[in-house]
Amino acid sequence: MSIYLPIAELSVNIFLLLSLGGVVGFLSGMFGLGGGFLMTPILIFMGIPTNVAVATSANQIVASSISGTIGYWRQGLVDFKMGGVLLIGSFFGSILGVWIFSKLVALGQIDTVISILYFSLLTSIGMIMLIESSQVIRDRVRRKTVKRKIHYHNWAHKLPFKIKFYKSKLYISAIPPIIIGFVIGILSATMGIGGTFILIPAMIYFLGMPTSKVIGTSLFQIIFVTALVTLLHATTTFAVDAVLAFFLIISSVIGAQVGVLAANKLRGEEIRALLAIIVLGVATKIALDLLVEPNEIFNISIIRALF
Amino acid sequence: MNLKIFLFIKLLVVVFISSASALVIGSDEEEIYIDANFSGKNLLVFGAFYSDPSQARDDKSDILIEVVGPSEDVVIRKKESFFGFWLNSKSVGFKDVPGFYYLSSTNEISNEFLNENNIGLLNKKDTQLIDWSALNIDWGNIRDEKDKESFYDALIRTKEIEDVYRKVNGEIDIIDGNLFRSYIEIPNTVPVGQYKVNLYLIIDNKISNEYSYNFMVTRVGIEEAIYSFSKNYPLIYGLISLLIAILIGWSGAEVFKRFRKI
Repeated sequence: MSIYLPIAELSVNIFLLLSLGGVVGFLSGMFGLGGGFLMTPILIFMGIPTNVAVATSANQIVASSISGTIGYWRQGLVDFKMGGVLLIGSFFGSILGVWIFSKLVALGQIDTVISILYFSLLTSIGMIMLIESSQVIRDRVRRKTVKRKIHYHNWAHKLPFKIKFYKSKLYISAIPPIIIGFVIGILSATMGIGGTFILIPAMIYFLGMPTSKVIGTSLFQIIFVTALVTLLHATTTFAVDAVLAFFLIISSVIGAQVGVLAANKLRGEEIRALLAIIVLGVATKIALDLLVEPNEIFNISIIRALF
Repeated sequence: MNLKIFLFIKLLVVVFISSASALVIGSDEEEIYIDANFSGKNLLVFGAFYSDPSQARDDKSDILIEVVGPSEDVVIRKKESFFGFWLNSKSVGFKDVPGFYYLSSTNEISNEFLNENNIGLLNKKDTQLIDWSALNIDWGNIRDEKDKESFYDALIRTKEIEDVYRKVNGEIDIIDGNLFRSYIEIPNTVPVGQYKVNLYLIIDNKISNEYSYNFMVTRVGIEEAIYSFSKNYPLIYGLISLLIAILIGWSGAEVFKRFRKI
């Protein structure tokens, strides 16, 4: 059974959409990642136009990050003040991002830029995950426990405009979180991702936030970034496909919850290694599309239709 | 007026018409509705060669059916290799290009005839005969004739692959020597808007008679409503998309709350 997507202007198999949402949701629930970094490129592989894939992914991430935030908020693991400061940066970042995006669409270079961005991103995530999970597996085999430092003191503590973040037990400058938020805003608008996998390490290593509060806080701020990105895309690039988003949201929310349950029962390292391989596979496919001479070197885009 | 005289004049007129070659058209649809389940439709075009059914069609006369869809502006971009990466580089803008084009004839019609009569878009082999100035084209920085041709060919080729440009012959049924009938497949990828059907009666390589009529292709259904809403009220559309995301995300967390505690 196929369904017609009004904005993407093509028909896709409904079960394919639901399984894509379900699998990406499962992975995101399992690893606490947004999943946009897999969703967007797979949508593009399915033939969804790049701009629709990016804008609709942002809409889908709003739903999955709300679902996740509520869970962490109930356990008191969201630092709203830190989230708010990050948001100041991401507000301006996402406006700049959507502006860059629409310029690239007009220049006809959006597909290439998105491909290169995704290739670099997926390669680095895949490599990091693969190295990290193989180390954990190796340590487990050697029955070693890894000790981690609890608190970092770095340059984030020396800059002006210092703010007290009680929840995170931090007294740091507002500048680093605003800059981090700004970068996440740009990435979110141009790539259709929440940016958790960049945000989480940045909050731990640059801001020195306690690991327990990081996921909830990053999910909390991603709700607003992706909501803003969705609105900006809806009004400037007209690329948000509500029908596509609906099916992806339904399946990913269910998938995410199942993923959370599975995470409690399964050992993560092997699956994480598997996910790393999937991510590297997607990166390889993107690289091949860029490097192999295409069958058709011409491509067409309609800039004005009658209606 | 005397009824007898009137009937006599009418009879004269009918005789006069039937002695000349004519083209009589019965059109089928004035509007085609495309909804989400639309999987293409056959548009029926039918008519008669001569108004007098007893007059048989001679072998020299042919019917040519041309269907031209609403125009659109397109950009064709060419990928080139930069340090191993295939990137879009040169581009050409074609303005007022038909979004759908169909040419069908009883027998193969020569390109010379089509060029002479300014019919046809798909006579690819004769690009040197195309009067570029008649088309509204933004060539960008392309000067070379060969390059121009390659972009034009790419436009036609892409549209043919999308199944919106077609040139066929022998797909017009002739019934009783005088009636003709043709089913034209309209794929669901066609653009919406006004379509024009042009029929030509060709005798001895000359257009003896022609007839045109229009029909509309309209999108209907919930998908069309969503599409036009997203264009007309983008902010409200964006807010509704967000609201759906928020509601489903929230209820997802609520529904699964009890499972989490296990």
